[in-house]
Amino acid sequence: MRRYLARRLLQAAGVVLFVTTLSFALIHLAPGDPIAAALSGSRVSETVRNQWRAEFGLDRPIAEQYVKWVANAARGRLGYSFSRRQPVSDVLRDALPRTLVLALPALLLSFALGITVGVLQAERPRSARDRWLGRVLLALYSVPDFWLALVALLLFSYRVRLFPPGGLTDPVLYDYMSPREQLVDRLRHLVLPVITLTLLTAASVARYQRGALLSVLPSAWMRTALAKGVSWRSAVRRHALRNALLPVITLFGLSLPAFAAGTVFIEKVFSWPGMGLVTVNAIAARDYHLVTAGVLVMSVMVVIATVLTDLAVAAADPRVRLS
Amino acid sequence: MVRSARFRQIGLLITSLAVAACTGSDQSGTSAGPADIGGTIVVASATDAGTVLPPLVAGQLDREITDLVYDRLADIGQDLNTVGDNGFTPQLAERWEWAPDSLSIVFHINPHAKWHDGQPVRAADVRYSFNLVRDPALGSPAAPLLTNIDSVSVRDSLTAVAWFKRHLPEQFYDLTYQVLIVPEHVLSNTPAGQLKTAEVARRGIGSGRFKLARWDAGSRIELLADTANYRGRPKLDRVVFTVAPDFNGAVTRFLSGDADIFEYLRPEHVKQLAGDTARRVQRFPSLAFNYLAMNAVDPSAPGKPHPIFGDRAVRRALTMAVDRRAMLRNVFDTMASIAYGPFPHALPVADTTLPQIRYDTAKAKALLDSAGWTVGSDGIRSKGGRRLAFSITTPNSSAARRAYAVLLQDAFRRIGADAKIDEVDFPGYMQKLTTHAFDTEMASFNPDPSVSGFKQIWATSGIGKDGQNHYSYSNPTVDALLDSATTSFDPARTRAYARRAFETIIEDAPAIWLYEVPTLAGIHKRIRTAKLRADQYLSGLGEWWIPSGMRSPRDKIGLRQAR
Repeated sequence: MRRYLARRLLQAAGVVLFVTTLSFALIHLAPGDPIAAALSGSRVSETVRNQWRAEFGLDRPIAEQYVKWVANAARGRLGYSFSRRQPVSDVLRDALPRTLVLALPALLLSFALGITVGVLQAERPRSARDRWLGRVLLALYSVPDFWLALVALLLFSYRVRLFPPGGLTDPVLYDYMSPREQLVDRLRHLVLPVITLTLLTAASVARYQRGALLSVLPSAWMRTALAKGVSWRSAVRRHALRNALLPVITLFGLSLPAFAAGTVFIEKVFSWPGMGLVTVNAIAARDYHLVTAGVLVMSVMVVIATVLTDLAVAAADPRVRLS
Repeated sequence: MVRSARFRQIGLLITSLAVAACTGSDQSGTSAGPADIGGTIVVASATDAGTVLPPLVAGQLDREITDLVYDRLADIGQDLNTVGDNGFTPQLAERWEWAPDSLSIVFHINPHAKWHDGQPVRAADVRYSFNLVRDPALGSPAAPLLTNIDSVSVRDSLTAVAWFKRHLPEQFYDLTYQVLIVPEHVLSNTPAGQLKTAEVARRGIGSGRFKLARWDAGSRIELLADTANYRGRPKLDRVVFTVAPDFNGAVTRFLSGDADIFEYLRPEHVKQLAGDTARRVQRFPSLAFNYLAMNAVDPSAPGKPHPIFGDRAVRRALTMAVDRRAMLRNVFDTMASIAYGPFPHALPVADTTLPQIRYDTAKAKALLDSAGWTVGSDGIRSKGGRRLAFSITTPNSSAARRAYAVLLQDAFRRIGADAKIDEVDFPGYMQKLTTHAFDTEMASFNPDPSVSGFKQIWATSGIGKDGQNHYSYSNPTVDALLDSATTSFDPARTRAYARRAFETIIEDAPAIWLYEVPTLAGIHKRIRTAKLRADQYLSGLGEWWIPSGMRSPRDKIGLRQAR
């Protein structure tokens, strides 16, 4: 186990270094720079911009800038965000929890819903229930995330004003609410983005789950369970489901970093200032340090999630040996 | 001669009426009573502020916030006059006196003026503010605008003296408009070179009628009424700018009722609001105008004339190919107006009666024929092996400019010019401008009210690093006329010089003047606005109010502190 973890950590360090180097190079190759974007006003002269570039070392060769960034990052200093005019670490400290608040409920709900629907379908394959649920899932699986988010926004925020159109909380009243009211306000702001994310992800989870269940249902141990007098429903839910969870666990592991890195379109449509939105806006503003730090955080998350998934799969399936 | 003078008088009258129409006014027709004090307005914004430290201001929201939080010595008048001190109203300086030689002005600071932390405003703050802008370590965008000011000295705690190198018409404007006064006791402990990234620069302690209560980066900025302000308490309690990630997010917040104001509505939103019972559309005056600028130098061989746009005849022919009124209707319906030249019509020096190059495709073709550009088998003209082909560079962030680029492409095609649209994101667009790496560009310019601002975009001196003349337009006559306009003390002569400069530029056709869009703001009907100034529509925000009978739950929070 120790050897496994040591090897994975070594691989992880290599992956993270490679990914951050690549993102650092790519964002520098894009036309424009953070100073031109941050000081784009018509009154700002190029001399002033050049002075800022020199002051922040942006006039130095890219290799020199990269070495300096890596050296600083190793000491925990991730640089300065020109688009947000804040240290990058402060920006990430704000954005990451916001993303997690959105992503974790959505992730848990989507897997709970997806597994449930998958089981319901697999219990009666090719029945009317299976077919109808399959159609709904296919429709959800097919629609682009931004489209579903916009429709939800249009329907429930603009036409019927049930939920706020975006943001984390009410921009004015939140600070003047009682703790209970604040909780309700936060939940109201969460409803639309969480439901959108849940529906989109649940569709693929359910399809995986249904497929996995259908592949284990013909197994000999299922026949044994049924021969012992266990009901079909009970056999599916208590025996087959556990054996059919491995692909879903893997899917969960893959979804975790994707959610935590920010679901860009959802965050954009619902004005949710999380990791995805911060990183996309940083790319548009050529905010070199913020982009690279954002990619660093995301790649670390992918690595962690991969290791956790391996561990979870090993725990769930005794046949898997980590060594 | 008499007839010409009469025409000019009529022109000036029309211009004055246009300015009056654009300045806007209170929508209610009544004024606020004592019960109408209070209320909150929420402004939806598609961008966050970059800074709240006035010397570092670069963006529009930065400017809106700092103008509300900080004061100037004196504020420009509603007519945007920049010559002398006519129309300027006292802010931090309760009065001022000119020296007989006009090379210094003594400003008497209002003894009641206080910073938002309770400290009194002193003359030393004026000196510090000026020195800070001029400090090379800070790299203030405003520094190049203060070259005529020699220094600011302190005579006593409430008297500051500004010393000028030359007596110029806009010397008063230069100091008062470009320098917002910042607190020395708050900022001076931090070296100027570190203020860009210092936490203290985000505190926003000013002396304006609103104080910065909170700035959650990327999320919201909250201003509170300074109830003890020396200029009087603003009528509103609170102004909240909510930051959406993009244009669509901001407009959705407004349309869904989450925000009271959104500044930049598009024509489709205006139609949408036609039957709205809670919101209205209000035109805020603006100084922004848009044009297709043609690069006078060859982007691939700097220093050489552009192989197409170096020729005045070609530029004029391309201008003649454009039906500007039809394009305006196509893109904006009736919500924008034609640009008449290299100026916004809301400025005092603008003259909308100047002769224009008229839309005439037959004449355009004839002009190109006579210039040696002959039509090839594919319908595109060429001359000496060079095709009449070029790019139109436009930022992808502007829907209007993108739409115009398509219409221009079609118009040019009809006279045998092959224009390719080069749509780039904003940083890429900026890089192309500053490196002159474009053929034509969809330009949008929002000038200061001063005539000298035009030198930055149309004079030869504006071609370098410190100017905005990215298209390298150069004409000694224009240079001389603009110089004369900026050194004349007689407003009538300033207008006359500027008029001739603009007329010459229009004749030279370095650009195709396309449109001016007033800021079309969506605004909640309960809000009563005050007079609106073209350079900064929020400048009178302190006088905006909400009738007591129309208050929403947000309006009723009052000034109480958050939990």
